[in-house]
Amino acid sequence: MIALIARKDLLERGRDGRLYWAGSVVLVLLFIALAVGYGRQSEVRAEQKAAQALDYKDWLSQDQRHPHDAAHQGMHAFKPEAALAIVDPGITPYIGGTLWLQAHRQSEVKFRPAQDATGLQRFGDLSVGWIMQVLGPLLVIVLGFNAFAAERENGILRQTLSLGVSPLQLLWGKALALAASLAALLTPAALAAAVVVTLGADAGEGLDALQRFAALALGYALYLAIFIFLALGVSAASSTSRVALTVLLALWIGNAVIAPRVMSELSRHWHPSPTKLEFSKALSAGLKSEADRAWQMAFGTTERWGRDVPLNKWGYALQLDDQTGYAVYDRLYGQLWDTYERQQALQAWSGLVLPVLAVRAFSMGMAGTDFVHHRDFTTAAETHRRTIQDIMSRDLVANADPLGNQHFAYQAGPELWSQVKPFDYHPPAAIWALRRSLMSLSILGGSLLLTLAFAYAAVVRQRAL
Amino acid sequence: MRQEMRLLLAERSLWLVSALFLLLIGYALYNGVHQTTLRDRAQAAITTDDARTRADQLSQLGRIMAGREVPSPFQNPADPARMGGGFGAHHALMPSAPLAPVALGQTDLFPGQFKVTYQSKIHFIHANDIENPWHLLSGHFDLAFVIVYLLPLLIFALSYNLLSVERESGTLKLLLSQPLALRTLVLGKVAVRAGVLLGLAVLVPLGVLLLARPESAGAGTSTLWWSLLVGAYALFWFALVVAVNAFGRSSASNAMLLVISWVVLVLIAPVLLNLGVTAASPAPSRTELATRTRMVTIEAMNRYSKLLSADYRHIGKPEVLLPKDGKIEMSGRALASYSIQKQIDEEIQPDLDRFDAQHARQQQLVARYSLLSPAAVAYEGMTALAGTGARRYAHFHDLMDGHHQAWKKFFFPRIDGGIAITEADFPRIPRFVWTEEDARLIDRQAFPALLKLVMPSLLLLGIAAWRLRSYPVV
Repeated sequence: MIALIARKDLLERGRDGRLYWAGSVVLVLLFIALAVGYGRQSEVRAEQKAAQALDYKDWLSQDQRHPHDAAHQGMHAFKPEAALAIVDPGITPYIGGTLWLQAHRQSEVKFRPAQDATGLQRFGDLSVGWIMQVLGPLLVIVLGFNAFAAERENGILRQTLSLGVSPLQLLWGKALALAASLAALLTPAALAAAVVVTLGADAGEGLDALQRFAALALGYALYLAIFIFLALGVSAASSTSRVALTVLLALWIGNAVIAPRVMSELSRHWHPSPTKLEFSKALSAGLKSEADRAWQMAFGTTERWGRDVPLNKWGYALQLDDQTGYAVYDRLYGQLWDTYERQQALQAWSGLVLPVLAVRAFSMGMAGTDFVHHRDFTTAAETHRRTIQDIMSRDLVANADPLGNQHFAYQAGPELWSQVKPFDYHPPAAIWALRRSLMSLSILGGSLLLTLAFAYAAVVRQRAL
Repeated sequence: MRQEMRLLLAERSLWLVSALFLLLIGYALYNGVHQTTLRDRAQAAITTDDARTRADQLSQLGRIMAGREVPSPFQNPADPARMGGGFGAHHALMPSAPLAPVALGQTDLFPGQFKVTYQSKIHFIHANDIENPWHLLSGHFDLAFVIVYLLPLLIFALSYNLLSVERESGTLKLLLSQPLALRTLVLGKVAVRAGVLLGLAVLVPLGVLLLARPESAGAGTSTLWWSLLVGAYALFWFALVVAVNAFGRSSASNAMLLVISWVVLVLIAPVLLNLGVTAASPAPSRTELATRTRMVTIEAMNRYSKLLSADYRHIGKPEVLLPKDGKIEMSGRALASYSIQKQIDEEIQPDLDRFDAQHARQQQLVARYSLLSPAAVAYEGMTALAGTGARRYAHFHDLMDGHHQAWKKFFFPRIDGGIAITEADFPRIPRFVWTEEDARLIDRQAFPALLKLVMPSLLLLGIAAWRLRSYPVV
């Protein structure tokens, strides 16, 4: 019976123009987004790889010089763009991908692409993710708003129910029909996206990219399913198609357009981030107190680089200075990044009633373009920076400090440079990402259950008389 | 019109829509004022901190000159290389414009302050403020958002069935049997609705701004332009509603058509426009810039490698840190780092100029093609008037450039000549002074924006007038 209902609905939808025009608009946009994304990404990735290789070559070919100067030259870490950034660029435009790993300080990522764009960037990025998150639900609503309401208006609903068809069978049949028409539309786009993603992925990362893509597709399927049941529930509960459409459009605007901004404001309010000045003051204070303690113990003074620390201890002092700082950076950046993650978690939780926020978190998480992935990269880069510092200081302690007052006359050569390995970062595997996105996935599932319950409640009240 | 007013007042929809609009405006203004206040407070804290640092340095210099203190080598207020570098650096700040709370624009994305040193700008112009990138992606819930995105929907809610409902309920026949032209009827209906919505959209923010930020009273011209812009944007959507109604379809298809045009003009067109602008005029590669910077740095470090190998002398002889007869001995490594930075500054400047030129080109493209989306015109126009758009940030960069030049001009000769900074020099150290951009520029940008909204509105009204002549009354 369910299949029969679905077939009837599908047949009707085929005769109706809505599926064709609304669907084709969405499809055209999806393909534009994929094509543009692919073109841009292949260029960016090639360039990043070349730059990363050149950077290491420059490191190795340094002349004879003081190791601390080598540490000042440092290295660059370029964040490799995720293969799935074509599908969902996530926070990529708003966070830089370039880190200069230099002596003394933990660096901050530079070059946010949005800063090189115009104000229109703030309207959004044309990506598969954006289209699915914002326009996807609208497509469902346009296709499904009158599923029950229209039948009630022309009396078919009463006839059907009087034949003994249960309202729940009707609900499932109609849901199946909606899902089938969406699948017919979106499957080709999804296949195309899968091909593009695999083509764009690095050698050996194709499978991982596909796994991520499969999970991401599941997320969007859940998201659209939420709107299928919402549309059917509202359609069943409304007296006319017009009321159903109005209510659904209002819900859609609330979810897709208003919610992300309101929830951002609220989460900013709830878990405020420090200002730049507060953060750098805390950092300086933390670094100073740790260094003071260490210098007092090692040299009997808190005055750094003054007359009480002879040059034959500068290598050791540098090492001490760096290593006491590591814990401070870890603590303060850790707190800041935890705040970001708490802000995001709050928004993801609101996804229970505002599913766009849950699917956004999940989609970015699986695409590898969320903050968790970014944090993984920054941590790896900082670890590499510390490795460079430690190798350089160790060499200074061993070779420059014994030279007494000739500390800066000491020069190391290529054998020291080659002790530092190239920065070779690979984003974590799909399963890692999935584990970290389980929360948003379960929120999506919870939201689906809620709308399902709503649709049930709305539909079982349908009576033949 | 009085009759229409009475009718509308009796209807629940007007009250509902107005209350909703008021709620949205109120929340948006709260956010705008709150965020602007936070920003102002953060800047005030920076200014205070800078002043305290400078005062501390001055009194430290006093103690040094009196022979009561030997400074540490990296924090020596008598040493021009230290004072011109990070130790003595001061911030250049861009203050909030009076109308800032109505459109937060790019305030969260572009830093509003730079810590200027003698180093190349590449070292300090990318120091971003702290903000969760997720929030940057979402954007703010400010008044500009409510007007650009939500006002059209409220206009639809009040008037999608402007004529169709009268026709469907049969009252149109009745009305037009009176000495009343169809055009007068439409005009009256639109005027009443526009009056209510625009009254709220313009007067409430003005009142709140005057209360929360009395200094905004001085921004008469910007406020006027802003009101006109909101009016013109609303006019566009009303014109669209009238044009759609004039085709004489049912209320339901009117509503559908209007929502579709909103999706296309507000959601899709600006995103496509952004895509087009980026594709037509892509920004130079930042990866390449990073590589260039490193290469220039390596080159400069190699050039001054001899100076870099010189050892610090203050360990055996702390007195070298003290100024003597107006002169001060700077360590070889400090001089090396100064020369390296100077070279980097000179060599990287052309690359930075390329980025600025590129940004200006993109902005020109947006100005030219924003006609395609009234939402883009209104948004860009509002951020420009609120002083949170690209133009004012570019102006800030120009001022900061001038200050950077003055800063270098002050410190370079002193470093080159080994001349110590004296207490008398302190008041002469260049300070960043903010001057507001030329008011004529604001007019020059606001007027075309207004035209870009009014022209398509007139076109739509023309279509409407033409269709209304053959409007099926029955």
